[in-house]
Amino acid sequence: MTLDTNVMQSRDGWNIRTASHADPDVVAPILRAGILAREFCRGGAHAEVAAVFERSLYLRSADIFVCLGAPAVGNGPLTLIANFGGSNLSDLGFRPGRPAFICDRYIAIGDKARFPFDRCELWRRPRWPRAQSSLQLTEVARAIARLTAAEAPEEGLGRLSCWHERGAGETPLMRLARPRVARFQSWMNDVLEAQRDPTTASLEPVVGLIGLGPGLTPSGDDFLAGALAILDALAERQAHAALARTIAAAPRGLTSPLSDCLLRAAAAGHVGETLCRAISAVISGAAETAVAAIRHVGHSSGWDMLTGVTTTLAVVVNARLRTAPAKILCRARQTQSKY
Amino acid sequence: MSVILNEVRRSTYLDSIVLMRISRQVATLPGVEEAGLVIGTPANKDILREAGILGPDGDKAEPGDLILALRAEDSAAGEAALAEAKRLIDQPAASGTTSPVDAPRTLRAAIRDMPDANLALISVPGHFAIDEARKALRLGLNVMIFSDNVPIADEAALKREARDLGLLVMGPDCGTAIIGGVPLAFANVVPRGDVGIIGASGTGIQEVSCLIARAGRGISHAIGTGGRDLNAQVGAITTLMAIDALDADAATRHVVLVSKPPAHSVATLVLDRVAQSPKPFTVCFLGARDLALPPNARAAATLEAAAELAMGATSATAQAKLPLVHADRGKLVRGLFAGGTLCAEAQIIFTQAGLNVASNVPAPGASPVTGAKDGHLMIDLGADEFTRGRPHPMIEPAVRDHALAEALADPEVGVILLDVVLGHGAHPDPAGHLAAVLAAGALVPEALAERDSGPLILACVTGTDSDPQPRAAQVRKLTEAGVIVAESNADAARMAIMAIGASNR
Repeated sequence: MTLDTNVMQSRDGWNIRTASHADPDVVAPILRAGILAREFCRGGAHAEVAAVFERSLYLRSADIFVCLGAPAVGNGPLTLIANFGGSNLSDLGFRPGRPAFICDRYIAIGDKARFPFDRCELWRRPRWPRAQSSLQLTEVARAIARLTAAEAPEEGLGRLSCWHERGAGETPLMRLARPRVARFQSWMNDVLEAQRDPTTASLEPVVGLIGLGPGLTPSGDDFLAGALAILDALAERQAHAALARTIAAAPRGLTSPLSDCLLRAAAAGHVGETLCRAISAVISGAAETAVAAIRHVGHSSGWDMLTGVTTTLAVVVNARLRTAPAKILCRARQTQSKY
Repeated sequence: MSVILNEVRRSTYLDSIVLMRISRQVATLPGVEEAGLVIGTPANKDILREAGILGPDGDKAEPGDLILALRAEDSAAGEAALAEAKRLIDQPAASGTTSPVDAPRTLRAAIRDMPDANLALISVPGHFAIDEARKALRLGLNVMIFSDNVPIADEAALKREARDLGLLVMGPDCGTAIIGGVPLAFANVVPRGDVGIIGASGTGIQEVSCLIARAGRGISHAIGTGGRDLNAQVGAITTLMAIDALDADAATRHVVLVSKPPAHSVATLVLDRVAQSPKPFTVCFLGARDLALPPNARAAATLEAAAELAMGATSATAQAKLPLVHADRGKLVRGLFAGGTLCAEAQIIFTQAGLNVASNVPAPGASPVTGAKDGHLMIDLGADEFTRGRPHPMIEPAVRDHALAEALADPEVGVILLDVVLGHGAHPDPAGHLAAVLAAGALVPEALAERDSGPLILACVTGTDSDPQPRAAQVRKLTEAGVIVAESNADAARMAIMAIGASNR
């Protein structure tokens, strides 16, 4: 990693200042910032360490959570990537509750660590590639569902497609999730066919998934993030807006504050790099690449997101295939009217 | 009487992987009937309520809180489990996992990351495996060597060196082990239990451990030795040390030895050591005859018999309704195996039934493949000639497709015998692949039992419902594709013999 002039590199690659006790022990430049994280930091804030993991920590200021992580965590809208030299953050003495100061030039955690922005680049989600045809998307959704059913962990929603019927071995999560996902599919179908005005429709089919399931970000939240991203990638603007509005209108307190922050970012069109890669692979027809992209995201989070993607994709494709003949007739009538 | 205990941690965030691991660990603690570790959202409280483990404390939790909920058979078990759970929650970093991206690049770095580690799994090209294994031994680690292509002289020297250090070398070419409940390389998810397995054979360990698991019992440890450990040049160094280890392990009450027949001098060495053990042994040296067993050991002719003897009970082998091969078809059996030991077991069952059988890896009593009319043929598709430069059929089932198409087209073949091996390391959906291949071959499932063309297809599925590919779903896919699924590999072989009218059970 890059060294400051008065900094020595430790055996493990950390920058340890030796010049002055007033200086922080650790200086690690922030390399990339997600667009929401950078925007938030420009405004300045007092925050505190909310959670510390091996490769990342979360800073919290009111309802906003910003992730400060090693490059391996991947870029995201609320993520700041710093070079920690391969060390585990949990070994560096950061603890939840420790105060942090955020300003346009740097983040300071206590007086021990400083993370300057002077070499920081902005990370934005890349453009979505051109989507395959509806029939090809149907195939890729089926292929992913097969891979997910076979490989996803028992926890989470990844094996949802295995449990069309209530049966022995079904987990309590699956018993609750199966009808809720079915209601979500029905809701999404109605929105896509413009049979329901999402501003007046019941929130329940969406709200029922928020906060549902295990993990730091509950499976239902990951599912909805996947649903939002695939709608965006397929340019289903009305459905995306309907889902985003419904999530925004949902009461607070349905999920953890951290997951709530990430889900609202997703509703605003901001999703992380890993999910972007998976979605790009899905709409390009590369099922195995999509699965590879999410395989190591959390324990079940990646699979939950992908289940949201494939579930929503199936509804979208079915709606498109159903309406395609009508659109063709409509276009034919328009053509006739010209003559 | 069952008790429900809830512990709430305010504003606590743990990594998802840590949450899941602790949740699973708590669920397997003694006396725990059900457990969950989730954040306190309203929807998650619904889940805990549905599971019958939500108490008043948990019900008051907020969405930012962490709820640990469990139901135990009595309050002592519940309190003990809760204490252990709290310890695990308070020390997540110490038992944390490392992502592939952050994985250490040297053994020394790995030891720094995990100072309590006592085993290294080596999977590098064979030329480098011995050096890496030696480094691990010098760092005080037991070693599992997945790599093959290691000269036998190097293997023997390494194992002697390890023995002097009091460390175990599993392998080279050791594809399967389960140590302390942790599956290593190709292994299945089986419950902990009192049966220890020592095996020179990967799929042999898998089949025995899965049969035991499906009968409701469990495995203490399964120690792989590598395929050549019972060779005279190596002298069973690992097998003997593994017997020492399981003798000293209080959780192990019965030991199963699985291997091809060893050299006579080595068999004597091993059986002499077995005789000194206070524990009962089942010895499954596939194809071996006239073993002079000590009083505490019993011989098993098949993997299925080994599992049954270890449990003191018969495994479930209820057969599917079995049609006979159609009169227009030939009466030959073609076995196409991913698992070498499963292939050997099928050969032994055929030879025991008085049938001539040939194989590319012949078991005792079978003939080598000559290329002429070989009669019943059992092919080990995991053998070197099929896997050189290609993935093993357990990883890539398409390796079997060509041989399967040939067998389907051969009018002399009345029965095709297959194995489907599940578990960690195996293909994510081998049954799905097989079903797709059969569908592409225009086999109509409904007509399979009575169709006038095409052979019967029999299969065994080595795995458990807890595997990454749950066995029940894999069996269902095969059944829907018209494959007759047996409860064990041995049972599938016996059913094949019955189907060609050569014998009754």
